[in-house]
Amino acid sequence: MSAPSEAVFDGRLYDGVTAHPHAVRAAVKDRTLELTNDSGWIERVEASALKRMDSTGHELRLGRTDSPGWRLVLPAGVEPELAWLLGQHERYGRWIDRIGLVPALAVGAIITAAVVAGGYIAPAWIAPHVPMSWERNVGGAMVGVFGSLRCRDAKGQRALEALVDRVAPGATRGPDAIKVAALDVPTFNAAALPGGYIVVFKPAITETDSDALAGVVAHEVAHVRRRHVTEALIRELGIGALIRLFAGDLGANAEQLVSLSYTRANEAQADTDAIQMLRRAQISPRPIAALFRRLGKESPAFSAEFLQSHPLTDKRAANFEAAFDPRATYQPALSRAQADALFGICGKPDKHA
Amino acid sequence: MDAVASAPAAEQARAIRFTGSWREYLPIAATNALLIVFTLGIYRFWATARQRRYLWSRTHFIDDQLEWTGTGKEMFFGFLIVIAVLAPFFLFFQFVFPALAARGQIEAAGGILFLFYIALIYLGGFARFRALRYRLSRTWWHGIRGGSNNPGWNYGGEYLGRIFLAAITMWIAWPWMAVRLWNSRWNAMTFGPLEFRANVEADGLKARWALIYAAFIFFIVGVMVAAGTMAAFGAGQSDPARMSPSIGIAVFAIFLLFYLAIPLATLHWYAKYFRQAADTTSLGELEFGFDATTLQWLGLFLGNLALAVVTLGFGLTYWGYRNWAFMVRHLHVYGAMTLPS
Repeated sequence: MSAPSEAVFDGRLYDGVTAHPHAVRAAVKDRTLELTNDSGWIERVEASALKRMDSTGHELRLGRTDSPGWRLVLPAGVEPELAWLLGQHERYGRWIDRIGLVPALAVGAIITAAVVAGGYIAPAWIAPHVPMSWERNVGGAMVGVFGSLRCRDAKGQRALEALVDRVAPGATRGPDAIKVAALDVPTFNAAALPGGYIVVFKPAITETDSDALAGVVAHEVAHVRRRHVTEALIRELGIGALIRLFAGDLGANAEQLVSLSYTRANEAQADTDAIQMLRRAQISPRPIAALFRRLGKESPAFSAEFLQSHPLTDKRAANFEAAFDPRATYQPALSRAQADALFGICGKPDKHA
Repeated sequence: MDAVASAPAAEQARAIRFTGSWREYLPIAATNALLIVFTLGIYRFWATARQRRYLWSRTHFIDDQLEWTGTGKEMFFGFLIVIAVLAPFFLFFQFVFPALAARGQIEAAGGILFLFYIALIYLGGFARFRALRYRLSRTWWHGIRGGSNNPGWNYGGEYLGRIFLAAITMWIAWPWMAVRLWNSRWNAMTFGPLEFRANVEADGLKARWALIYAAFIFFIVGVMVAAGTMAAFGAGQSDPARMSPSIGIAVFAIFLLFYLAIPLATLHWYAKYFRQAADTTSLGELEFGFDATTLQWLGLFLGNLALAVVTLGFGLTYWGYRNWAFMVRHLHVYGAMTLPS
């Protein structure tokens, strides 16, 4: 019966102290490797102290766990004889070797997919938990940025706030009050900003009637109430946004904040909420439906900005149109006097809607 | 009395040689790429360790191979340490500096910014030294390894000082600074009981550096001339249709200068610098030499680029392999080695 302990191999030993190679003979006795040479020197190494080092395949290189430079170089043919002594060769890394390459890849794929999916979904989960007080810090700075463009006509501002109150009763009061402002900027747009701010640009006031504007405002109020603004902030600026919100300085410029984009789910939810708000306020949804259809046909220069952040489809117009109830009694969003005051909020307009 | 198998006679002529092949390396490259992707990049430290273990083991010096004993774990922890050290810098640049600036304390902000830049340059020099020391300390041959007793703090200071000197001479003094930094680095390194000795000088490098400098000056002048002529046309009455071809040619020439000539001139300088540095560096009684020309360096870079493009990105995993093989194939070692017994 061939016993592994009887085999003797010629090898080369480096002691890890000097760089001289020593010619040795290696034999396996029980669970130790016994090294000898012609002058009677003997060294015994426990199997547990041995480890396999990388090599070219022409030879087997062994090292010791307790001596960093110690190397025993044996011809490659001896590997099967000694394999039982040495155990597995580390190929990819301890953990991956333990479970195997393919299972490790599978686990990695699942984790990667989870991280990517989480990054996509997380903002929606985190947003409702961000305190509004953090956002209010930022909101103040924003209004400051827009300060010079703000339309400050007192009667117009009251009418605008009345419009917000009409679609969302009580929204303009209290600690989480929605603050609405009109800005003298010549593009058609309305946006919700962090901190409960809603800004409406001049053409959105002068180029529409107040019933349609009520729909637009309701849509923006819904974004604020549902924390979509916070969610969009986290999605676009990352976790850093949370830190900055807390510190009170977003560092994002006004342009970026006005053009934050929402997910389709956000937009659909804001539309649904707006339809509800219009219904409760007994405002007809037809004007806003007509506005969406009109914007879809307008020249790109006029409505590009609005369309960028509010993707318009015929479906949206159809949804609002479908919400029209022929048996309901609708009231205008604003009185004639309020509508006139709102119309002039930014001074004398160029043309009447 | 050696039990080493003898290598073919032709190869035997070189003291240091690379015995790897791209076919042999392919499984390592492929599994590395896969594992890096599926671990969101974390595996790259272990991938580097695997790559170096292969490359070092296929590098034959005199009668035995080199060995890499660095682990992915220690490189990963080194990475974490770097992140921890750089975090204050990052936080400052991202949050503190803009906040200070917004509050009008621009002098304080500027002052702290300056200090941070100084610190970053110092740390860069320190890191360069430590990287070299780490690689030598994980490289084994005949059971001995390299390293340094020097922790590198002084080198960081020297690096900062030499960068400053170069900057105040508008980088004209750079060749002198670069060779002194090379010498400082290598004179602090050892392998086994032997010490590295380096005494590169800037003679022979000045002309090539002047070439880069001249190309750069041409570029600046060209940009100014082009900007001036275009402004003149705005104000003048020359026929724009007739003039635009020559403007176009001028602009094209300027871009050619910037994206081709200056990088080529820099490579030209670097090739000589590296050859000269190798020639004047020694380890005990061993002398080194390096024979790669500018064109050969260019071939390496273009080859890397072409490989990556043709393989739709997978070739990137071979850049480390190709770069190492290039270095070893152009490296020469002369002389004898006497090691105390």
